[in-house]
Amino acid sequence: MTSLAAYILRRLILLIFVILGVTVLVFAITMLFSPDVRAIMYVRNADQLKPEAIPLIIQKYGLNDPFYVQYGRWLTQVLQGNLGWSVSAPGPVLSVIASRWPYTFEIVLFAAPLIVFIGIYLGVQSAIHRNGLIDHTCRVLSIVGWSLPSFWLGLLLLAVFAGELKWFSPGALSQNWINFMHAGVLTGTYHRYTGIDIFDGLLNGQAGLSVDALSHVVLPVIVIVTIDIALLIRVMRSSMLETLTKPYITTAKAKGLSKSVVIYKHARRNALIPVATLSGLMVAGLLGGLVITETVFAFGGLGNWAAQAALQTDIPGVLGYTILSAFLFVIANLIVDVLYAYIDPRIRLE
Amino acid sequence: MSERSRFDEFKAGMRPRLKEWRFMLKRMRESRLALAGIIIVLIFVGIAVFAPLLAPPHGDPFSVPQDMEILVIQTSPTPPSTRHIFGTTDQQYDLYYACIWGSITAFRTGLTVVAFSLIVGLTIGTLAAMYGGLLDEALMRFTDIIIAFPGLILAMALVIALPGIFAINLSLVFLLVLVVASFLLLIFHFDKKILLIVQLLLLLSLLSILFFPVQMNLSLTRLDKVLLSIALVGWPGYTRVIRGEVMRVKNEDFVEAARASGSSDFRIIVKHIWPNTIYPILIVATLDIGSIVLTAAAMSFIGLGADPNFADWGQIIQRARNWISNVDLIVANLHAFLIPGIFITFFVMGWNLLGDALRDVLDPMLRRR
Repeated sequence: MTSLAAYILRRLILLIFVILGVTVLVFAITMLFSPDVRAIMYVRNADQLKPEAIPLIIQKYGLNDPFYVQYGRWLTQVLQGNLGWSVSAPGPVLSVIASRWPYTFEIVLFAAPLIVFIGIYLGVQSAIHRNGLIDHTCRVLSIVGWSLPSFWLGLLLLAVFAGELKWFSPGALSQNWINFMHAGVLTGTYHRYTGIDIFDGLLNGQAGLSVDALSHVVLPVIVIVTIDIALLIRVMRSSMLETLTKPYITTAKAKGLSKSVVIYKHARRNALIPVATLSGLMVAGLLGGLVITETVFAFGGLGNWAAQAALQTDIPGVLGYTILSAFLFVIANLIVDVLYAYIDPRIRLE
Repeated sequence: MSERSRFDEFKAGMRPRLKEWRFMLKRMRESRLALAGIIIVLIFVGIAVFAPLLAPPHGDPFSVPQDMEILVIQTSPTPPSTRHIFGTTDQQYDLYYACIWGSITAFRTGLTVVAFSLIVGLTIGTLAAMYGGLLDEALMRFTDIIIAFPGLILAMALVIALPGIFAINLSLVFLLVLVVASFLLLIFHFDKKILLIVQLLLLLSLLSILFFPVQMNLSLTRLDKVLLSIALVGWPGYTRVIRGEVMRVKNEDFVEAARASGSSDFRIIVKHIWPNTIYPILIVATLDIGSIVLTAAAMSFIGLGADPNFADWGQIIQRARNWISNVDLIVANLHAFLIPGIFITFFVMGWNLLGDALRDVLDPMLRRR
């Protein structure tokens, strides 16, 4: 246990350096912009937009200072919780993240378990019926899913299910429920306890709102599951195939254990190890935002905001979003590595 | 006599490699998915090669023609007709032309980015694996930082941040190249005379920077920026694979034998290590072409792609973004994104099938069973 604690500590120290490196790099990218462009990020009213005001802003915020001075100043602000003002949202970056995050979470909440469980199931079936019908179908489907552009799949689903069948509509909530919610928040009859509409609707006794929110999640979830499940099936399949050739599987069969015990108790558990890593990183990637999917469905989560920020040269927005995603990825990496030590007794943490 | 024997030696050296390739080809032929992949990629090669015949250009071939006669009446897309066999998209751009010439853009995107990533990956990965220690640690931690980014976001940030015109100080570039060169020469134990010349040139370029700097303006098109951004984000994956492969190979007996017989590090790397790491790299590169094209298309879709009239599949679909707010428009203009989307999907699928088949054929764990 002490070795595990030491390992986590060392990884945490390394993590700080990686995160610092990430911030240096992102900040360096923003420095590619001329001071004039960066000065616009500090503009709060029309007066400051005048050409003669820009040099004053540059001087006031020291936008011509050397890189390390500006970086130091920025980092001090970030450590105090000030990530700047996002023009595209608009709002302070941290509160934008806080208000947008529940929407991304709504999608991931349904997409992640579906990807993981269906992916594992199909991967195992594919491996134990190698070269059979199931295997070939899974392989073809996963290659197709993997080759589909997510925005194109999204547009097609919108055309069929929203345009022709009128079952679903784009956005995260129907307009009448949005109006209802805003009115309720203003009058104090509706409370946004979690920020996640599906839960808030139920907590406020408005099941209709929850159902509406749920129906808006369906299409984005289909897109993400179709595309991201491909990799999971492939990894599960090849890991399972490799495990099935191990001598201990032969031993288990020779002992006369039933086929299902060998496959599910002996082989699958061991084959799950690489899948655990992949799932962890995948969920972190999904939580970090679904830039394309959210854009297609006009779903107001983090990814949608990131796309808007990039389009409108909203530097603090892009900076904040990039750092958030990198942070999530690094943390997920750490969690996965530590969990490894529990799952796999062969891994010794030196 | 000596020529002859050297040829024989070469032939004998190539024999196992040829046998390997023949075995590979046989396995590829047996797999239907691999065959499908090869055929799809070849069809796209055909479309790209015969693009000037399939869709004769007027003026700049990569600028999609607009039908001005319809444009004066309406801007919204028109369905397929004899005049435009795939129809037109928003602003009356011809879809057929864009799809045909877009395949050249797709190849250009995939191959340029892979080539860039390979060069960087081979250099950094090999250096890190061969010389270990602090160099390895520094290079790989830097790689970790880049991998920690969500690729698409970092590429997006780079596309908007990269300036359209680079004022490049040639003297500075020259100096950097020479510094890297002398560093490489030092660790590869090269001829002292060459090193001396390089260092003299280094001094010269230093003087040039101080007294007569040579400037050059390099302008980047929007597509160049997209390619550069994806490449700058994509190389770490290659670096990791290549480092791992070099690590695996560098302690093999044949490397020891080459070293014992007095081969230089450079010769060992180029003649012995790289040829033995090529297969995993080939698989990664093949599979990567598809995802690069998808990333480029996704960036186009968000609105960070090539110029609006550029022949690019993603750029054509991007126009559908304006219809999301009104679902009826998506249905009415279905053809305007359906057709280019089919091109993207098949292009990516061709490379994925090929890469997948290569992995099955080349992976020593799964082969010969």
